[in-house]
Amino acid sequence: MALPNPALSQLPDNYKYGWHDPEMKPLHLMKKGLSTAVVEEISRIKGEPKWMTDLRLKAFRHFEARPMPTWGGDLTQIDFQDIYYYVTATDRAAQSWDDVPDYIRRTYDRLGIPEAEKKYLAGVGGQYDSEVVYHNIHADLEKKGVIFLGTDEALQRYPEMFREYYGTVIPANDNKLAALNTAVWSGGSFIYVPKGVHVDLPLQAYFRINTESMGQFERTLIIADEGSSVHYVEGCTAPTYSTASLHSAVVEIIVKKGARVRYTTIQNWSHNVYNLVTKRAVAYEDAVMEWVDGNLGSHLTMKYPSIYLLGERAHGEVLSIAFAGEGQHQDAGGKVIHAAPNTTSLITSKSISKGTGRTSYRGLIKVYPGCKHSKSTVRCDALILSDEARSDTYPYMEIDEEDVTIGHEATVSKVGAEQLFYLMSRGLTEAEASAMIVNGFIEPIVKELPMEYAVEMNRLIQLQMEGAVG
Amino acid sequence: MSLSATQPGVGRSVLVGGAATDGAGSATHSGPTDWATLRRFSERHYEPSWLRDLRSAWWQRYQDTPLPSGQEEEWRRTPLADLPRNAELLLDAPATELDHDADLAARGVIFTDLRTAVREHPELVRAHLGIGEPVESHAAFWALSLAAWTAGTFLYVPRGVEVDGTLIARLVTDRADVAFVPHTIVAAEPGASVTVLEELVSADGAAGWFGGTVEIHAQEGSRIRYARLQRLGDGVWNIGAQRVVVGTDAEVTTLNAEVGSRVTKVGLDVQMTGRGGVSRVLGLLAAGGDQHIDINSVQELVGSHTTSDLLYLAALYDRAHAAFYGRIVVRPGAKQTSSYQECRNLLLSPGAGAEPIPVLEIETNDILRCGHGATAGAIDPVQLFYAQSRGLDADEAERMIVRGFFEQVVGQISSETIKALVLDALARRIGSSTAFDEADEADAA
Repeated sequence: MALPNPALSQLPDNYKYGWHDPEMKPLHLMKKGLSTAVVEEISRIKGEPKWMTDLRLKAFRHFEARPMPTWGGDLTQIDFQDIYYYVTATDRAAQSWDDVPDYIRRTYDRLGIPEAEKKYLAGVGGQYDSEVVYHNIHADLEKKGVIFLGTDEALQRYPEMFREYYGTVIPANDNKLAALNTAVWSGGSFIYVPKGVHVDLPLQAYFRINTESMGQFERTLIIADEGSSVHYVEGCTAPTYSTASLHSAVVEIIVKKGARVRYTTIQNWSHNVYNLVTKRAVAYEDAVMEWVDGNLGSHLTMKYPSIYLLGERAHGEVLSIAFAGEGQHQDAGGKVIHAAPNTTSLITSKSISKGTGRTSYRGLIKVYPGCKHSKSTVRCDALILSDEARSDTYPYMEIDEEDVTIGHEATVSKVGAEQLFYLMSRGLTEAEASAMIVNGFIEPIVKELPMEYAVEMNRLIQLQMEGAVG
Repeated sequence: MSLSATQPGVGRSVLVGGAATDGAGSATHSGPTDWATLRRFSERHYEPSWLRDLRSAWWQRYQDTPLPSGQEEEWRRTPLADLPRNAELLLDAPATELDHDADLAARGVIFTDLRTAVREHPELVRAHLGIGEPVESHAAFWALSLAAWTAGTFLYVPRGVEVDGTLIARLVTDRADVAFVPHTIVAAEPGASVTVLEELVSADGAAGWFGGTVEIHAQEGSRIRYARLQRLGDGVWNIGAQRVVVGTDAEVTTLNAEVGSRVTKVGLDVQMTGRGGVSRVLGLLAAGGDQHIDINSVQELVGSHTTSDLLYLAALYDRAHAAFYGRIVVRPGAKQTSSYQECRNLLLSPGAGAEPIPVLEIETNDILRCGHGATAGAIDPVQLFYAQSRGLDADEAERMIVRGFFEQVVGQISSETIKALVLDALARRIGSSTAFDEADEADAA
């Protein structure tokens, strides 16, 4: 599958995750393309129950029937027949890094994952192309009943619970790309946190695409039972190829009464990846759902994490940060649907565009009739760093209840000549000064990240900024 | 809505269309008229041939432009299924009522009914009529109005002439069940200055289609303040469009006060073409019953060092619904611009709703300021409590707070005449607050 301009994907020289593992010998490398047979074959390899096979086929019919979205980014170059839908390196998820094949282990070592697990994570999952290759969780959490598994394994081990929740937040006939995911999903994380259990350290999953022209379709399902809490972090990288890859995930989250979930994404796909993701959470009475969504990589990202506030006093937050460099388009944002009284929400978006990059904030606040005393604030700030860069803001609001307080504000600015001059008069180079201003600009988001990620985010921004300012 | 007792030129007869189309192509829209009818109208009024050709060209354009399907971003919130599209075109239309001022005429200012202007100043009308592209979101309606206008207002201020006071034009019809698509032109030559209010009134009751369009051309260094007070009948579909072109160092303020109609769906395109121009796009909406108001705006910044600020305030009662989809577009060459759009909705009863959608599309980094704000919500109970603790009853307190809410726009109206007429029209919806008036009088004393 071609990129609109393959040269653009090569530009970020400082993208340090662009290697691929030539040694990888796939166990399954299904031929490119998509058909009913491919959908059935994926289900067969996984040994799935019939209901799942049927649901996949139903979703595939929805996918075929639905037109491609014509809004947002340019999707016209995507050729669904020129993608590998299922590529696996191993046939099971290891619980110890020693059991992971050497070349994959080397990849994760270079990404620093095993190290991070030792230091500050409660559990780690690693997905390599279509399948989860590693999964582990602290023994004490397991004893408390916390489940943290690859999604395929969870379907085998907890079929009842899986079926109770799967597809209830994002049904098979949702948007075209979510339907595609439902048809061909593989991998992803499954998390269940029992009543009253607090998972104090983050759980992390790391998604890696290795094969060229790969489609990665992980499916994540998180259930936080009443009064529990969990923080899940995902990271994503891929090799740089001159052809396009597709990442189309679906994430469903159920936050029950009084529970709290934070979901943090640091998306740093190489610049040949179309990243078209559907993420949605439902939050019940007194629950809190937070999306922290960092989009730095990919060729085009279209992703709008959403929250349905279904119970009284539920609270939802979306913190979105997007950085679009040369040739990139980050079409990101958030949606909050107020469907119960006394619900509150906050969306904060910070976007930066550089070179020919384009950032778009796209969001929705909807308040249903009867949701009295709902409050929502949306705040979008954009920074444009070059003459050719572009920034758009598309904030939608549908307010059908009188007794509410809804506000939206946006500003767009450039790095001021005066600010630059001031910093440069203190001895900084222009690039350093710009980087400092950008760091200040994204500070409100970065401070919400766990320490290690905050450091990483600052470093990534610094890399993106290098040689950027003219 | 009552009509004033003295109404010269109120239209009574509607010429029935239906003759086979000729000249201007086949009819693709079943609509309020046809080309044969328009051609007969043009001939009966001895219109010059250039005008007939212009009507024919716009009629063709109307035929070639599909009506909105409802899939367009701007039309998703206002379905046209119930538009009375078979209402017949009002051919025997009223002339604009306005005061003729001999002194102004002597200074070269032309302020007259558009049909009169065609007869008396054909070249000036020709230089200003339908220049520029249609308002994008309302392209079909714009073309229809340019082809089929039967009334309208023409205001032209020559180079360097500054008109004091406020000019007032009233377009009044006691018909409702018709299609009426009058066209207004306001043109200021370099250095000219003028303030004008246009008031639109039609009868309540029957369903009708009002498609009035406005062109405002502000040349270098000129100043135009244009207010449009919409008091159309309660069955009327008001599908209007306005194009404002602001030249170098020119300054234009427009105010749309939307009070009447069943459905209002207005497109506003403001183009900042010259360096250093300034525009203020103001709106006041007071809606109740089952009224539906949907505004589409585009503030397009092309010239450098331009400023464009939009502020729309809506007070929504009963089951009224207000949508706003407005875009600021900053073009690549538009350096050092400053733009803002703000849309505030006060929801005054449980059935009221609002969909404010302010969009920014910024294609350059060299901007001074660009942003938007949108709010929707009920009256702050603390404010209400405070007002009541000062002895006002709940209704009075609400009225006072709504008037205070509108003050953000009303305070920007420099013409006392316009301010009084607009407040009076709004009072029909929000009620007049006696306490407020007394306070005003006390201030004046």
